[in-house]
Amino acid sequence: MTQDLYRLVYYSRNCVAGHAEAHEGAVRAILAASRANNPRAGVTGALLFNAGCFGQVLEGARRAVESTFERIQRDPRHAEVSLLAFEPAAARAFPNWAMAWLGSEARGAARFGDIAQGSGFDPSRMSADALFETLQRLALEEEKSAAA
Amino acid sequence: MIPRIEPPPAEPASGGAAFVEMATPALLVGPAGRVALANAQACAMLGCAPEPGLGLGEILARAGIGGAIHLPGAPGASTACRIALSDGRAVSVEARLLPDGGSVLTLNDVSAFVRESELARLDPLTGLANRMTLHARLGLAMCSREPVAVFCLDLDRFKSVNDTLGHPVGDALLRKVAERLLGVVRAGDVVARLGGDEFAVLMPGVTQPEKAEALAARMVDLVGRTYALEGHVLNVTCSIGVALAPADGGDADVLLKNADLALYRAKSEGRDRFRFFEPVMDARMQERRSMEIGLRRALAFREFSLVYQPQLNLGSGEVVGFEALLRWQNPGGGLVSPAQFIPVAEESGLIVPIGEWVLRTACAEAAGWRKPVSIAVNLSPIQLRSLKLVGTVTAALAHTGLDPARLELEITESALLEDSDMVVGMLDSLRAIGVRVSMDDFGTGYSSLSNLQKFPFDKIKIDQSFVRDMLDNPQSRAIVRAVASIGTSLGMKTTAEGVETAAQLEAVRADGCSEVQGYLTGRPLAAADAVALLAHPRRALPVTGDKT
Repeated sequence: MTQDLYRLVYYSRNCVAGHAEAHEGAVRAILAASRANNPRAGVTGALLFNAGCFGQVLEGARRAVESTFERIQRDPRHAEVSLLAFEPAAARAFPNWAMAWLGSEARGAARFGDIAQGSGFDPSRMSADALFETLQRLALEEEKSAAA
Repeated sequence: MIPRIEPPPAEPASGGAAFVEMATPALLVGPAGRVALANAQACAMLGCAPEPGLGLGEILARAGIGGAIHLPGAPGASTACRIALSDGRAVSVEARLLPDGGSVLTLNDVSAFVRESELARLDPLTGLANRMTLHARLGLAMCSREPVAVFCLDLDRFKSVNDTLGHPVGDALLRKVAERLLGVVRAGDVVARLGGDEFAVLMPGVTQPEKAEALAARMVDLVGRTYALEGHVLNVTCSIGVALAPADGGDADVLLKNADLALYRAKSEGRDRFRFFEPVMDARMQERRSMEIGLRRALAFREFSLVYQPQLNLGSGEVVGFEALLRWQNPGGGLVSPAQFIPVAEESGLIVPIGEWVLRTACAEAAGWRKPVSIAVNLSPIQLRSLKLVGTVTAALAHTGLDPARLELEITESALLEDSDMVVGMLDSLRAIGVRVSMDDFGTGYSSLSNLQKFPFDKIKIDQSFVRDMLDNPQSRAIVRAVASIGTSLGMKTTAEGVETAAQLEAVRADGCSEVQGYLTGRPLAAADAVALLAHPRRALPVTGDKT
């Protein structure tokens, strides 16, 4: 289905109240749903989360990405969704991930590198390319550390 | 291109070649539930070419289809179900079991059929209730004296989606809006499409305004979230008006009308918001309606008149022109302020015939003056969108014999806000017949220097708010000076508006403005007084000449 491969990048504001535990619970639920739905639809991607924001990349067939994004849009757990990019892509950047989870407060800010200093990662100040590249870099690191 | 996946089963009922030739979209599913073959029609309908070994569910998910297809269990049996494509079209799926345990699926686009059979009750595009169904359900609730909340919802600037991306994308957007609204409501609520981009939601049993408020806020948020649709990114917002029964109306018609009034208010307050109905909205609407009737009568009974405010050259001190200003003497209510009636005239479209009258009258008056000074006429943004405008101006000039170079058309920056290419095209056509064009009230509203780049205006009129403040406020003064300087550089005249004191006059002269208009140098004059001023230019300028 490479003739119809699209990539979508967005960030949004977290609406889950409470502290790290509540957030982690919410993210786990989101990831479980993504990992159940996405393989069937051939959607891959990565999710970045901290207390304030979600940043996510979705890739797959255009209609599958549109449907997945529409489901995400209706989710009350986040708001102020900013769609940074939605365009044809030459190849998948996260071919091995139904939905990679990259970083949370609980796992230590160190993993975020230069994007998570102090107040945490602020995707609202990143361009689509920067957010996408950050997610891709973190996913590669994750794959390497898993293989090691 | 035929995507072959598995070798065709040994004994397919219809034979591989025949299957591929079928005009109906069809899929062949192997005994293990994997899609063995899809003809080109099916690939086109689903928007994908299946890869080897994909399950039926995976194919559907990749096509953005939410539902599932149940395959028949017993030999010779068949099943039928309906799925919705990602663009909202309804497709009926019939599955027949083959002797080898596989199935043949035929897919039929039944949108048209569904449309026909449900036309009476449902909106064909979205499958929502239609106006009639909504009305019936609302009537039922009112009869049983059940409390009910009505939300009238309208997409903001939906027309531009249709205009720029085409109707199929616009239709797909309406279907997505419908789905999002259905996601907010509870069982027993009614979501209806009333036509175009108008929707209504009916929620029986809502007694607390707080509850209705939370729902309205949720709908504004949800419908306003970005859409990724047919490969496009769409951003639209919506406005909502809310009315609650029984407080806001005792019957269905009144309740819907009041929700509509609240919607109108939400729109006029800037869109992307909700408003609850208040009785004062009804009063305002009645007032607006009576003003519209009054304007129609004013046009027929010649209750309009023009006054002429002198414009002086700051170098020579001579009158170089007049600006024609519209006055409405309502026989019952005295003089009506343009600030009150112009917005109603614009909304109702009456500004077009009224503007035509102003043009003809001003040109006729100026043609009779003994000096060939200029006559400035204001154009509303609505007039600039009327295709008749060039013809109207040409006719006014021809009928009165006025030299086109003496006519100055004044437009405000708001005219360049939307469709600015179209407006600039209109200004070019007007310039081509020889008239001049001024930028009025410069510096207010959506002021942008790029507006000066879009069209070579003959004159910039600096808004009176800057002139009024310029002696007390260094910022205002700096702006007046800067605009005068920009005008000089671009070869445009600059007029300082609203000059009221001698000190202001000296200041605008020192700052490089070329012309002045204001109470100090001349209040608006009746036609005869303007003629007199031109005949006796040396007489003292009247200071109480505001004969309206």
